[in-house]
Amino acid sequence: MAKKRYPETKILSKNFDKENSWTFDVARENGAYTMFEKALKEMTPDQVIEEVKTSRLRGRGGAGFPTGVKWSFVPKDVDKPKYLALNADESEPGTFKDRWLMELDPHMVLEGCLICAYATGLSTIYIYVRGEYPLSQERLWGAIREAEEKGFLGENIQGSGFSCNAYVHTGAGAYICGEETGLLESLEGKRGHPRIKPPFPAVEGAFGCPTVINNVETLAHVPWIIEHGGEAFAKQGIAPDPDNPRSNGSTGTKLFGVSGDIKTPGCWEFEFGITVKELLYDYAGGPLDGREIKAVIPGGLSMPVLTADELDVPMGFDDLVKVGSGLGTACAIVMDDTCCMVEASENIAHFFADESCGQCTPCREGCHWMEKIFKKFNANQGTRSDLDLLEGLFVNIEGRTICALADAAVWPLRSIIRKFRHEFVAKMTPEEQAAEKEAQAEKARETAGVS
Amino acid sequence: MPTIKINGRDLEYEPGETVIQVAHRNGIDVAHYCYHPSMSPEGNCRICMVEVEGWPKPVVSCKQLCGENMAVQTESELAQSARAGTMEMLLVNHPLDCPICDQAGECHLQEYSYELGHGESRSTTPKTHLPKNVPFGEEIVYDAERCIKCTLCVRFCNEITKTGELAMANRSDNEQVVMTSKGEFTTNYSMNIVDLCPVGALTSRDFRFKSRLWFMDFTPSLCTGCARGCNVTIGGRGGRFMRMEPRENQDVNQWWMCDPGRLGYGHVNSETRLATPAVRDANGQWQPATFEQAIVAASAALKDARESHDVLLDGGATLEELEAARALASAMGGQARFAAATGDDADEFLIVNEKGANAKGAEMLGLERQADAAPAAVLVVERDGNVPAALRDGAGAVVAFVTDATNVPDSVRVAFPYGSWAERSGLLVNVDGRVQELRAARQVGPGNLSPAFALMEELTGELDGNHVPRDRGELVAAVKNEKAFAEVAFPAGVAAGQTVGAGS
Amino acid sequence: MSATPPRAPAAAPKDVEARQPAPTPVAFPPAALKDECEAILSRYPTRQAALIPILLLAQGHYDNWVSPEVEAGVAEYIGVSDSHVRGVLSFYSMFNLKPAGKHEVWVCRTLTCWLRGAAKLRDTALEKAQAERAGVVGEDGKFLVKNMECLGLCEVAPAVFVDGVAHTNVTNEKLVELMDACE
Repeated sequence: MAKKRYPETKILSKNFDKENSWTFDVARENGAYTMFEKALKEMTPDQVIEEVKTSRLRGRGGAGFPTGVKWSFVPKDVDKPKYLALNADESEPGTFKDRWLMELDPHMVLEGCLICAYATGLSTIYIYVRGEYPLSQERLWGAIREAEEKGFLGENIQGSGFSCNAYVHTGAGAYICGEETGLLESLEGKRGHPRIKPPFPAVEGAFGCPTVINNVETLAHVPWIIEHGGEAFAKQGIAPDPDNPRSNGSTGTKLFGVSGDIKTPGCWEFEFGITVKELLYDYAGGPLDGREIKAVIPGGLSMPVLTADELDVPMGFDDLVKVGSGLGTACAIVMDDTCCMVEASENIAHFFADESCGQCTPCREGCHWMEKIFKKFNANQGTRSDLDLLEGLFVNIEGRTICALADAAVWPLRSIIRKFRHEFVAKMTPEEQAAEKEAQAEKARETAGVS
Repeated sequence: MPTIKINGRDLEYEPGETVIQVAHRNGIDVAHYCYHPSMSPEGNCRICMVEVEGWPKPVVSCKQLCGENMAVQTESELAQSARAGTMEMLLVNHPLDCPICDQAGECHLQEYSYELGHGESRSTTPKTHLPKNVPFGEEIVYDAERCIKCTLCVRFCNEITKTGELAMANRSDNEQVVMTSKGEFTTNYSMNIVDLCPVGALTSRDFRFKSRLWFMDFTPSLCTGCARGCNVTIGGRGGRFMRMEPRENQDVNQWWMCDPGRLGYGHVNSETRLATPAVRDANGQWQPATFEQAIVAASAALKDARESHDVLLDGGATLEELEAARALASAMGGQARFAAATGDDADEFLIVNEKGANAKGAEMLGLERQADAAPAAVLVVERDGNVPAALRDGAGAVVAFVTDATNVPDSVRVAFPYGSWAERSGLLVNVDGRVQELRAARQVGPGNLSPAFALMEELTGELDGNHVPRDRGELVAAVKNEKAFAEVAFPAGVAAGQTVGAGS
Repeated sequence: MSATPPRAPAAAPKDVEARQPAPTPVAFPPAALKDECEAILSRYPTRQAALIPILLLAQGHYDNWVSPEVEAGVAEYIGVSDSHVRGVLSFYSMFNLKPAGKHEVWVCRTLTCWLRGAAKLRDTALEKAQAERAGVVGEDGKFLVKNMECLGLCEVAPAVFVDGVAHTNVTNEKLVELMDACE
């Protein structure tokens, strides 16, 4: 009997197939804003935060920080205004899940924002949408206007005394503005240079005021958590590791994407636990005809690659870390046997060199330096010492900067040069190739001698 | 007070202090580029990374707040490798054009790379090229390739002068500083960014390609452009004033000085400086003279003087000169007065309207301030100083101490060379009543000048047989005895009896 | 140290560039943008926060690029220095600081689109535009082709934007068609 497909669980994506799913009427028919009403009328802000904590909901933007804990950092009694900056600057390569949510169910996103606003006592929502998403901006503005008309945004919402306004803020093309403090700088009308933490945004964020920053998908989960309770959410997906008290597990559902060298790229919602292999073969249709999958970055561009032999691993925060990679945005990029990993490395390095904000020395100088070395290989001029140099640069770049962009550049590249060294050797000068061959033979002789 | 452990030493800190602040205060050197105590830390250069024991990653000490039970290592393997790694990154696209770079010799990039000892680059790929020789206003030139993007200059214009002329532009290794399209600084303090720049990315047009630093001699002194008395360092070479930079004094000018003050040294290097005493012969022609001959001629001229017995001094004259002038005037039966210019360019920062660098001192000594032309027998004036031509030429003086031969009025019979402010030593009282020491800069000016106060004391002796010429220490002691100076602190090191000559 | 006379100053290796005359700021906002600018400003606690949305608006209004004159005009309107505005403009890839031609074509160059043939699309676009490289307007001034980083259309890669409109699963033929359709 054929193996049963890992089932889809449509919570965030429940309205994706419906006609005009982005309009208020369709959304309302399917329950939009009822959980916001429930929170307003039946729950205290603290109760909402407790439910979200109980759910173990973790940020869906890549870092996986527990959302309820983040909300609880927002000071309660302050004279200053407080803000929600919804991170809709989805610029991680290979990632498009938030775009689906914003284009197909903007009211669910907005409802999540409103529940968060109520829970943390803030009254201004900025939805920072990347400039390259014009349709998302349009649909979100439409949703905001409709919600205002229907009394779910504005002053004294539903007679509750709670007031809140929402605005779409447009980015203008900078990957780094997806980093939460880079986003804040950009929101303030500056270059998106990430800030050193502390102070954390929950205490001192936008305009020097307490600010919650959450990813689109993260907040879209919140209405379901209010409807079914945090415990029900926590029961979905992968439970925390009982042997590790710091483990938060990977609870709930998640939008998983696949793109690249694959038959049917797309986006599906599952409870955490589907393996990379199941996702690629059972949903994304497997490799293109006559090709073989060579390497997969499981989440965006910023995680270490998995080889074809390493795909039988559940897509979970901790599970992918255990195999030396990471969940990232859970949108996988697939490279098949027609892809030259050296050229792919140059492409990846170029991305980070292009998008480095320029602030920290190791990232500003190092990312482009790495790209130049890959270029050298692609001109068949590589040497063995260039590979050693790259390893040295990884050490000097990783963990030495204000934000994680530099780490994100190192991780995929380091994994590629280690897992696909032979492809780099093939692009060395003939002398270097001979030297490498000799070194390998020497190593083999030594091993044989020892054993 | 709470304590933090740095390199095994328990050091006290105020809550809110950063690791680098505590380290520096305790004499522990932590390399830094983008950190400056006057500005908000950015933590972008990454050279000041240190290890905190038990923490997985090195942290930037300029931004890391001290905490109890924190143990910091500035020289551990991790800290050193982090520093060396950053250094390598800073140099990979740097042009390494030290042989033609003005900063060579005081470049922090040179210093730390020397310490870290990387002789050769691991880079085998071409460097990234960026604009060079970009003008920033009238006085500053920017080289984006040398620039290490520490943003000190940008932050200076944003946080200190709040004029915002500069900003970072582009991103990644194309990042560079850009200037307002107006092309001008609206602040009088722009050139401080040249001093702030830890590398040779910002150079002063005035000093560019003028001299290697190691051929110059540096003397701590004061700026006399106004009565603020900004503390400065003067660099001289072969008799020429080469440049001036501010010297930190938190009570006066912090780390800064204004551009007009910095550039106000033109007359020091004048081609028409009076270098030796000169006496008019019977035909009215100037003849060079020795100091002894000039003293004899001057006392004769003063004894003949009928119209006035006063001495008119420049508002920048030192306390020692003022005291000597008072004695000279009194020996003649007249009085000493001073003239000082007043501007209308005071700002809320350093520049004050009072231009007499020692006007306050003169007033405290009871000298009258002279605004209109009035007769005087003796003139003590500096070119481009505080005594306008009308007062200078209208005094009908017979003896003059002048810096420049072109400044000698027709009435004068004997002219003594007077040191410019850069070549004189003495005490000045700034606008706030603080007594500070002006020190003659080495390798500046024509040299071989006798201090004016010593010459005036000799003249007084010639005119008054009872007067024993006083040395500098005695003059200072006399000033200290004045009632107005009873409560005033004098700088240490100006001990009685210590005589510092002009020039060297 | 002995007083050695200084040698003649060495000649500068290269002359300092001539200073450019200051641009005359445009009167901003023009009537057509006034209401929208004010609406944008009303959303934020600081004027500066409105800078990026207003610059996008300005770029759309003034022939798809931000000239030094527009930059200075917006700077005055927002109340920040024009160097700050330059810093912001040059940070975000959607702004054009030079005349942008009549039509703007974005070709995504990041990994997914690259795997799906974006490099060829870029070459085709550049050839059609008669431009020597991405980011430079072609000879006839018609097209500006820009290499963009991930546009977030990965499941329908390769992706191209023509004048702000997304096109997906783009083939060479389709791209030629799209560019031919531009007036």
